[in-house]
Amino acid sequence: MANTESLENVVLELRRGVIVLAALSQLSTEQYGYSLLKQLSEQGLEVDQGTLYPLLRRLETQGLLESVWKLEEARPRRYYVISAEGKKILPKLKKEWSDIVSVMKKMLA
Amino acid sequence: MKLINRYVSEVGKHLPLIQGREDIEKELRSTLEDMLEERATKAGRPADEAMEIELLKEYGSPQKVAMTYNPHPYLIGPRVFPFFLMILKIVFFGIAIGLSVVTIIQLLSQLSTGAMFMGADFMKTILQGAGNIISTSIGAFGYVVVAFVLIERFVPDFKIDFEEEKEWDPAALAKEPDADSVSRGELIAEIVFTFVGLAILNFYPQILGMYFFSGEQSFFIPLFSDVFLQFVPWINLIFLAEIAVDIYLLRNAVWTTATRVAKIIIEGASLVLAIVFVRTTDIIGFTAESFANSPFTPEQAERFVTVANVSITIGIIVVVVIVSVELIKAVIGLVKSLNKK
Repeated sequence: MANTESLENVVLELRRGVIVLAALSQLSTEQYGYSLLKQLSEQGLEVDQGTLYPLLRRLETQGLLESVWKLEEARPRRYYVISAEGKKILPKLKKEWSDIVSVMKKMLA
Repeated sequence: MKLINRYVSEVGKHLPLIQGREDIEKELRSTLEDMLEERATKAGRPADEAMEIELLKEYGSPQKVAMTYNPHPYLIGPRVFPFFLMILKIVFFGIAIGLSVVTIIQLLSQLSTGAMFMGADFMKTILQGAGNIISTSIGAFGYVVVAFVLIERFVPDFKIDFEEEKEWDPAALAKEPDADSVSRGELIAEIVFTFVGLAILNFYPQILGMYFFSGEQSFFIPLFSDVFLQFVPWINLIFLAEIAVDIYLLRNAVWTTATRVAKIIIEGASLVLAIVFVRTTDIIGFTAESFANSPFTPEQAERFVTVANVSITIGIIVVVVIVSVELIKAVIGLVKSLNKK
């Protein structure tokens, strides 16, 4: 019981940073929360709404994303897109990620 | 859609009072409507209540959803916690010292009023003192927590740079704490306060005192009596010597035998002067005579004079304690440094 719990915690920790990178990478074109969620899921990354929406808001307060409300099909939707600041740090994050992957690949081989 | 609306406002109720609450509700509603529409399309029939219920059940309880938006799931976060601990230590330490001094003075006054200095009374005062320290500490803890909760919530930029976070040099560990090095902060504080004291004593002795207003008339009784003012040249001498030694120490950054001896002489002289004050009567201006022209009744005046005199005496005793500690520290420092040589 305790084992599955700690396993879940570690997995959660591992995913937390990955989701930020995934969201930033997908928001070069603007998307609203639900469409981003589906897009991530289509590519194999299942993210909980309860994780994604607060994360998008946080990235916006951090200045990495920008958002704007648009009225579509009589429904207001909040569209997020990567900001200039976000565009600046995304390549660095990508580099960091590939470094981590190559190191871990060797380590876990 | 009725259920979705109710669900969204239920989530809103549990959202923390942060900016963008309405925004969160609006975004949530739009998401849920999107999801419902998708379900309806998949099922090939218009959305109904059963579909709504199923969706909301999957989305989770409103409390849980609201929690995910809470950036502060704690009262005092890791950002301000180190500072919180530091302040708490200072406050507890201050309360313990302050109330201990009060208790000691109470014990002494029991002795001096000739009250029965029986074991029971003695213990009672000590236990009351201990109880006071505990209850005051608990109260102070509450206030400190409230202050930090407010900082946590409303001062997002709050940041204190602790010295450890700056460029930290491991070589500092290797160095033995040097008994001869001086504490600059302490010295600067001492110089500033001594200057302020000098300025008040010499140029504005008349601003300290009691002001009373009754109707159109105002009435002032100076704190310092003529008897006290006779001592001012002596106080000046001690204060100026103190400032001179402090400035010298600040420039040289280390204690020497000469400065230690000078410090001992100064603290000794302060101690003698403080003891003279305790033993001299009419040191402060609040006397029965000074109230003669006041709007107070003689009984009121007498009570006030008694309270004022006792408070001043307590104040001087506190000064005596502080000066004695300084004196002992200086003597120990001198003995240690002489032994080393």
